[in-house]
Amino acid sequence: MATTLGSKLENKTILSAAKVSFTYDPQPGDKSAVEWTFRDLSLQVREAEIVCIVGASGCGKTTLLNVIAGLLKPQSGSITIASAENRGRAIGYIFQQDALLPWRTVRANLALAEELRGGVFKRGSKERLARYMDTFNLKEQILDQFPAQLSGGMRQRVSIIQSLMFDPQLLLLDEPFSALDFYTKLRLESEFCRLVKEQRKAAILVTHDLDEAVAMANRVYIMDLNGNLSHEFEIDLQQNDGSVEAARGTPQFAQYYSAIWSELKSVIAN
Amino acid sequence: MSMLYPLPAIVLLIAWYIFTASDPKRQFVFSSPQKVFDTLVHLLSSGALVRDAATTTFEALAGFILGTTSGALIGLTFWYSRTVAKIAQPYISALASVPIFAIAPMIIVWFGIGVMSKIMLAFLSTVVVAIVQSYQGSMSVEPRILKLMQVLGASRNQVFRIVVVPSSLIWVINAMKLNIGLALLGAFIGEFISSEQGLGYMIVKASGLYDMATVLVGVFTLICIALFLTMIVGKLEAWLLRWKHA
Repeated sequence: MATTLGSKLENKTILSAAKVSFTYDPQPGDKSAVEWTFRDLSLQVREAEIVCIVGASGCGKTTLLNVIAGLLKPQSGSITIASAENRGRAIGYIFQQDALLPWRTVRANLALAEELRGGVFKRGSKERLARYMDTFNLKEQILDQFPAQLSGGMRQRVSIIQSLMFDPQLLLLDEPFSALDFYTKLRLESEFCRLVKEQRKAAILVTHDLDEAVAMANRVYIMDLNGNLSHEFEIDLQQNDGSVEAARGTPQFAQYYSAIWSELKSVIAN
Repeated sequence: MSMLYPLPAIVLLIAWYIFTASDPKRQFVFSSPQKVFDTLVHLLSSGALVRDAATTTFEALAGFILGTTSGALIGLTFWYSRTVAKIAQPYISALASVPIFAIAPMIIVWFGIGVMSKIMLAFLSTVVVAIVQSYQGSMSVEPRILKLMQVLGASRNQVFRIVVVPSSLIWVINAMKLNIGLALLGAFIGEFISSEQGLGYMIVKASGLYDMATVLVGVFTLICIALFLTMIVGKLEAWLLRWKHA
């Protein structure tokens, strides 16, 4: 099923995971009896690419993100993440619900990168913030508000900008749009796709929403119940403006959707 | 609606007046609104009430600040080590289970009959609540935020300063609310057992003389002090947790 997109070969590989195995079993001594969440999993993500992972609940999608993020230590395998200009672990992680510090204003939340990294990004951070605010259609007035004063969609936008302020090369997204209303979701998906393309980021999106996966991703993987990325689909619905709404309107969209859905159904049934 | 708040107090005052006005014997046991008012005026004009109230307030407030601050610091720093927290737990439980009345005589022997022993009693009454509440707070940080901080490469000290301390403030403030009454109780018990000034001293002395009016003035003053301190904590809460009500 897996094929390679020739046109994307020139893009730099941002994430390279090779033969990664992980288990929650605390003492995986007897290899045959161990219940692996995933075993010998390999995955590559290139710049300007969105890779989407779909699968049944509990199959290990979020665990995979946590392993890539360094929150969980794999028992074997290697994970290499390219970082721009040696900026350390350049990863952004965006969750279903925002992880903003509720006692801080939006401005103070967005200054977290500078605070944690001792002013490494001070130069140009204001310009970057202004650019991201513009990209995600946020007005400057919200900077002095607390997260509780913002709508769910605005909070999620701020959350994405908070991660982007660290200038990550790789963005991990765990169902980030699932708690939003349909219209906000569409807008945010488009804004995010545009950003990944323009800023040459790489992103891994975990979602249960097949519609979202097909509209946003360059590649969709199905993770089976044994934690294998058993099916790979190359998606080519490239819209110049990054609009997921336009992508959904293309005739190929339904074809991709039904192909993935029929595989996903059989994977879940097995 | 807010007009109705004083209504129960007014009803109680009228009932008390009617109950005691007709019978001087009842006034001996229950005093009367008029007598209490006269005693209040007298104690205010002589300066005795202000002196005793100031003493008790000072003792309670000093113990409260000392107990809540050190308790919060201890409780929050337990976040760094679950092992230390586990070892400390039985000791904290033991301290919490001892009635302050039981250790008051010993504290008075150690620190004398002056204000120091009352401050210590107020401190001991409040420190445990502050430790327990702030430790609970430090352990109740939203996991999502901790996860994010870890991904962003924050050090443990940064997580403590940027996340754990501010997110535990709600718990510390709850401890403060509980501790107002406990600090006053600690100071009062100390004065009750042995002292030369303070509302506890005033009440003990007056009850020995069956001077119910002075006892009641002392009780009402204590209530006023507690309400005043609660109001200050309320203001502090509104300011510290303004993000919650924004």
